[in-house]
Amino acid sequence: MADIKISPLNIGERPCFFDDPAIDQLLGMMLAVSAELSVTRDRLDTVERLLASKGLVAGGEIEGFRPDAQVAGERKRRHEEYLQRILRIVREERQRLTPFDQMKQYQRLVEEFKKP
Amino acid sequence: MIQQAEHEFLVKATHDELNRQSYISDLRMYLLNTIGAGLHDVYDQQVRPAFEAEHGRSPQNGDEVLRGMLKHQYCKTWSSMVRATQEMIYDSVIPSVERAQPELNERVRAANQRPTLGSLDLDPMVEVPRYVSAVDVHCKPGNYHKEHTAGGDASQGALCDRSLFVYQAGAAGPNCDSNGRTIAEAIRHRWPEFKPRKILDIGCTIGNNTLPYLDVFPEAELHAIDVSAPCLRYGHARAQALGKAVHFHQMNAEQMKFADSSFDLIVSCILFHEVSRAALQKIMKECHRVLRPGGLAIHLEGPRTADLDPYYAFYYKWDGRFNNEPCLETWGETDIRKIAEEVGFKSNGYVELAVPDYSMTPRAKFIQAVTAREVIKKRSAGHWGEEDLCLPLYGMWKL
Repeated sequence: MADIKISPLNIGERPCFFDDPAIDQLLGMMLAVSAELSVTRDRLDTVERLLASKGLVAGGEIEGFRPDAQVAGERKRRHEEYLQRILRIVREERQRLTPFDQMKQYQRLVEEFKKP
Repeated sequence: MIQQAEHEFLVKATHDELNRQSYISDLRMYLLNTIGAGLHDVYDQQVRPAFEAEHGRSPQNGDEVLRGMLKHQYCKTWSSMVRATQEMIYDSVIPSVERAQPELNERVRAANQRPTLGSLDLDPMVEVPRYVSAVDVHCKPGNYHKEHTAGGDASQGALCDRSLFVYQAGAAGPNCDSNGRTIAEAIRHRWPEFKPRKILDIGCTIGNNTLPYLDVFPEAELHAIDVSAPCLRYGHARAQALGKAVHFHQMNAEQMKFADSSFDLIVSCILFHEVSRAALQKIMKECHRVLRPGGLAIHLEGPRTADLDPYYAFYYKWDGRFNNEPCLETWGETDIRKIAEEVGFKSNGYVELAVPDYSMTPRAKFIQAVTAREVIKKRSAGHWGEEDLCLPLYGMWKL
């Protein structure tokens, strides 16, 4: 039987929410990168635990490692801290990002401190 | 987070796939709960005041709220991320399914052809209706029904099983069956004298919400139908692996091949928001026909948007607009009680309950909720894992 390949595209118009669709794409890329970094951290976490307990790590030991409830809980907590860090800019949205060429308050300070 | 219960057909994840999937579950919950909470603040502090200033009144429905919310950057960011995360769910599971093939199909076929429990009755003449096939529902590549190879493919069923758990983040239990369990237990507790001998679950997909009926009504003969052959193949194998005898049939509930008065109990679990209005009328008529006199048809579904305050109506509609759920908003505006009467159910046989999740609710509180007099109350739309989330059950006795 042939191998199966499932296309990752889903049928249907795909919404973009920003005037510039590049922004939606950047957000999607950021989320995907965040997942890969998290996976790497979780893998390192596995390696550290194994090193601590055994001092020697064989490939099969990492592949066979499965988190118990305690480890899963700790990972979940770390995921939450991680998400706070990555999504900081969204949570702080009310601070209002300012277009780079309209930072009037900041410019006033620069002028103030420029005064002899 | 709990782990998904393993069975011999559940696709295996590598170390990294498992952690990626767990992360995506956490990401989705974070977006819905933590970032999503900020949406309500944006509405209260900015969108609603702006609307009131312009129109001299508050928004009165979800559409008015949605238009205002989507102009706001916070909502655009949240929306973009929620949609991306939904797609990441399937992206993270597809490699597991591909790696399991073609051996998975061989094992599923063996379970279908030489079953130890239940049966599978496929009908290639059953067409997948357009309200299922027009888009990939829930953004799942391949939808319920795509066949990736000839000779009997179960890949989409396998994708369903694992991706559903990632989507729910374990909130529906290790077997993704808390909805089905809740319906079954609600029936048992509210009508303890009702002992259905023949039960039908319509729109069962892989049967995850079908199996609990055998825990609650162990003497019953359990049937389940769906239009998707890949889901039915996989579901039949999965049910056997979990020790449950279910008779799976490929049928469209709009036109069932069962005789009149075949079943004591007909159930469905979040099916109606995935069928067209026209199909819903036919499905309800068929339910009335195949139900025996004295039987019960009862359906778990989302709320009517008219029962939600305008902010939560917007939140609920979001999936209807942006999660490839093209029938959801129509369901939100449907008067199911009226349809029930149109197809022959008597008005005094109608009952509607707001039921908390069986597994997450203290027993006494669950019993109190299901035995209350008919209750239709305004509630938040909510989502998986939210405390006090109540799921509407729409029931009709064939008197």
